[in-house]
Amino acid sequence: MTAGLEPHLAVLRGELGASGPALLSVLLALIVVVVTIVIWRCVQGRRSGRRAVLLLGLCDAGKTLLFARLLTGKYRDTQTSITDTSAVYRANNDKSTNVTLIDLPGHESLRLQFLERFKAAARAIVFVVDSVAFQREVKDVAEFLYQILIDSTVLKNAPALLIACNKQDVTMAKSAKLIQQQLEKELNTLRVTRSAAPSSLDGSVTGVPAQLGKKGKEFDFSQLPMKVEFVECSARGSKGEEGDADFEGLEKWLAKIA
Amino acid sequence: MLDFFTIFSKGGLVLWCFQGVRGPAATAPVNALIRSVLLQERGGNNSFTHEALTLKYKLDNQFELVFVVGFQKILTLTYVDKLIDDVHKEFRDKYRNEFQQKGALGLLNGTFDFKDDFMRLLRDAEESSKVRAPTVMKTFEQSLKSQKTVKCMIETRGEKPKEKVKNKKNKGSKREGTEAVAAPAKAPAGDKQPSASGEKEELTKDEILQKNREEFFKRHMKAGEKSSKSPKPDAQKEKGKKPRVWDLGNSNAKVLDYSNSATNGSAEACPVEEFDPDTALGDRNREPGRLYDLEYESDDEAEEKVIQNPSKPSSKKGGLGGMFGMLKGLVGSKSLTREDMDPVLEKMKDHLIAKNVAAEIAVQLCESVAKKLEGKVMGTFTTVTSTVKQALQEALVQILQPQRRVDVLRDVMDAQRNRRPYVVTFCGVNGVGKSTNLAKISFWLIENGFSVLIAACDTFRAGAVEQLRTHTRRLNALHPPESHGGRTMVQLYEKGYGKDAAGIAMEAISYARNQGFDVVLVDTAGRMQDNAPLMTALAKLIAVNAPDLVLFVGEALVGNEAVDQLVKFNKALADHSMAQTPRLIDGIVLTKFDTIDDKVGAAISMTYITSKPIVFVGTGQTYCDLRSLNAKAVVAALMKA
Repeated sequence: MTAGLEPHLAVLRGELGASGPALLSVLLALIVVVVTIVIWRCVQGRRSGRRAVLLLGLCDAGKTLLFARLLTGKYRDTQTSITDTSAVYRANNDKSTNVTLIDLPGHESLRLQFLERFKAAARAIVFVVDSVAFQREVKDVAEFLYQILIDSTVLKNAPALLIACNKQDVTMAKSAKLIQQQLEKELNTLRVTRSAAPSSLDGSVTGVPAQLGKKGKEFDFSQLPMKVEFVECSARGSKGEEGDADFEGLEKWLAKIA
Repeated sequence: MLDFFTIFSKGGLVLWCFQGVRGPAATAPVNALIRSVLLQERGGNNSFTHEALTLKYKLDNQFELVFVVGFQKILTLTYVDKLIDDVHKEFRDKYRNEFQQKGALGLLNGTFDFKDDFMRLLRDAEESSKVRAPTVMKTFEQSLKSQKTVKCMIETRGEKPKEKVKNKKNKGSKREGTEAVAAPAKAPAGDKQPSASGEKEELTKDEILQKNREEFFKRHMKAGEKSSKSPKPDAQKEKGKKPRVWDLGNSNAKVLDYSNSATNGSAEACPVEEFDPDTALGDRNREPGRLYDLEYESDDEAEEKVIQNPSKPSSKKGGLGGMFGMLKGLVGSKSLTREDMDPVLEKMKDHLIAKNVAAEIAVQLCESVAKKLEGKVMGTFTTVTSTVKQALQEALVQILQPQRRVDVLRDVMDAQRNRRPYVVTFCGVNGVGKSTNLAKISFWLIENGFSVLIAACDTFRAGAVEQLRTHTRRLNALHPPESHGGRTMVQLYEKGYGKDAAGIAMEAISYARNQGFDVVLVDTAGRMQDNAPLMTALAKLIAVNAPDLVLFVGEALVGNEAVDQLVKFNKALADHSMAQTPRLIDGIVLTKFDTIDDKVGAAISMTYITSKPIVFVGTGQTYCDLRSLNAKAVVAALMKA
C-alpha cells in the first residue's frame, strides 16, 4: 500500500514545495482543524450516549434523600430542590458499570423544564411516589406520570420505568399493588380528558396527540412500549436516620438496567 | 436570638444547620420560603415572613448554595444582614475545594464542621450591634460657655446698637411720626451725654434708646429724601396716563372682515381648481360601493427592513466589544457582577414593558433574575446578554407553569360521580368577554358530553339575559337533544333583572342538583374593582354559594391595570368572606388574545400577581375560539425582538 502511495506523496510534496512554504502551513493548519473536529465529534458522541437515570416525582416524594442514600448510604437532611444534581453511581452488578444518577426538582413550575433538558439522555426513569400521601395526591401523580409517558422523546426511546413507592417505613403507606391499580384507573380517565382539552395556542405542536395504551381497552401498564415495574422502598429506612435505607428492590433494578 | 441558620445546596441537600432556640425544625419555613419566593421569581426583596418567623436569605450563584436565617418576627435584629454576608464569605472560602473539585459527591460526602466559625461570627455581629449607652449631657464646666470671660459678654456701645436698631425698626416705624419732631430736639442733647460718659461702660437704658432713635431718624431722613423724589416722576407719569388702545379693539365688525366681499358667496368668482379625480378618489380599481378589508402586511418583511439599517452600524461597534468579551470568557472564568448585568437588564425591562407586561412586575422580575445570576460563573463562549436572556426566559416559563392541576374535565367527572353539579363562576370588570367566553366554554363542555345550566346572575346590564338566551338557543341548535339521548344539553336559569345575584345563583345550583345537570356556569355582572358595594356583592355571591371554580376573566389588551384589578378583586374576596380560608380567584381566562399580535405581557402580569394558572385563552368570537395556554409559545413571542 505504501508503494502505491509513494509516487503520489512525492508528487504532492513536489507541488507543495513549488508553491512555497505559505501554502504548506495553510494546509497543515487545515488538517489540524479537521482532525480536531473529528476527535471532538467522537468524544461528544461517546458522552451523549444515554447513560442517565432520572429521579422524577412530585414535591416531597423523597427523591433527593433517595439520591443521597444511593450514593453514600448516609442520611442527609433535605430541602425542596431548585436545580438538578447529578453524580456517577456505580451499580453493584457483575460488570460494575457506571450510570449517571440525576435528581430533578419535583416542583410544579420546574419539573417540565428539567424534564425537557434531560429526557433525551435518559436510559431509565425512576418515578418516586409518596405512598403515604398517595390517596390525596393521586390525581397530581397521575398527571405528572401522564405528561412523562406522553412525551414524544420518551415514547421513542422507551427508557425502562420503575415506579418506586417510597416512605414504606410509615404504617399508613399504601402497597405497590394498590398504587398500581389506582394509577391505572386514573390514567385511563386522563387519556380521555387530556385529549379532549382545548387545543394549544399555536395550533397543536404535536400533530396528533399521542394515545396512551390501546384504544378501547382499559389502560394497563403492560400496554406501554417500555418496561414498567413497581417496587416498594424506604429512603429513610426502618431504623430512622442511623440505619440503612430499605431499598434492595431499587438497587437490584438499577443493577439490572445499568 | 436566632431561631435557626441553614446552609443548603440548590439541589436540596442541607450542608449545615444551626438550631438556635429550641423550637420547631427549620425545614417547613425554609420550604415555604423556597416555594413562595425563589420559585415564583419574587426574589427582589430578600426577606420573607412565615407565621411567626422572619426569614432572610442570600443566594450564592457560583457554587449553587442558599443561606437562610430565621428569627422571630417581633424582634428587629440589625446585625442579620451583615451576619449572612460574613458567613457566606467564610463558608465559601473554607470549603471552596469541595465545591469546585468534587461536585455533587463532594457535597454529599463532605462534613461541614462550621459550628465554631459560626458562633464566632455570631458573637462578633451581636457585639457590633449592641446598643450604645445614651449620650450623657455635657456638664456646665465642659461646655464652651463656661470658658468665656465676663468681659466678652458685656455689651458695648459699638456692637450692640446695631442689633438694637434692627429691633427698633419694627417697633419704631409706628412711632416715627410723633417722635420725628421730638427726636432732633433731643438728639444734640443726647449726643453730648454719651460722649461725656464715654468712660462709663454701662449706659442707662433711656440713653441707649435716645441714641438709637436719633440714628434711626437720621437714616430715615436720608431715606425720606430719596422717597420724596420718587413719587414725583410717578405723578408725572400719572398725569400722562392715557387709555390703552388695542390694535383692533375699537374697530367694529366691518373693519375686521377681511373677506373679499366681491367673491363672498358668488360661484363665478371662485377660481376653478385643477380638480384631478384620480388623486381625490385614489385607487381607481375599486368596485364602487364595496368596503375592503384592512390590508395586512406580513410583519416580518416590515421588521426586516427596519432592523437591517440600525443593525449595521451597531454591529461594527459591537464586534470589537463582543470580541474582547469573548476573549475574556475564553481566557478565564468570568463571574457576573451587578454592573455587567445592569445595562442588559435595563434593556430587557424596557423590552418587557413594550410587550405589555405591567411596569412594576417587569421591575420585580428583572430584580429577581439579577439576584439569581449575581456571582454566577459564565461558561465559555457565552456573553452576558445571552446568559441574562436565558435566565429571563427560564423565569418566564417558570411563572407561566401552573402551580396546580388545570384539568376542568377531570374535576367535572369527579363531581359527576358525587352526584352534584360542578359550579364555575365568572367575574371580571366590564366588557372583557365574560358572557362570550361562558358560551364558548359551555360549547366545549357539551362537545364532551356534559350537560350545562347557565345561571344568568347578571341582573344589571340591559340585554344580558337575552344574550345568554340567544346563546342557549344556538347551542341547542348545534347539539339537539336527539343526538344526546333526548336530554337538553344547555338550559338557561334566569329570574329577570334587578334581583339579587347571589340568590339567583343559589336557586340555580339547587335546580341543577335536582335536574341532574353536570355543570353550572354562573355569569355575573361586570364591575370596576374600585366599586366597593359591587365588590361586596360579588364576594357575597362567592362566599355563599361556594363554587368549585372561580374564574377571573381578563382581557389580553389590559396593561398596568391588570395588577390593580386582580389585587383588588382578590382583596375583596378575602375581606368579605367569613371562612377561615377564603375562596380566592382559582384561575384566569385570558380573552381577546387575537387582538394582540405578540404583545402577550398581560399573561405574565396576571399569573405573576395571583400565581394562579391561566385556564382558558379566548381567541375570537365564535364557539371554537377557545384554547389552552402554551407557555413556551407565549414566552417565545415575549422574548422575540
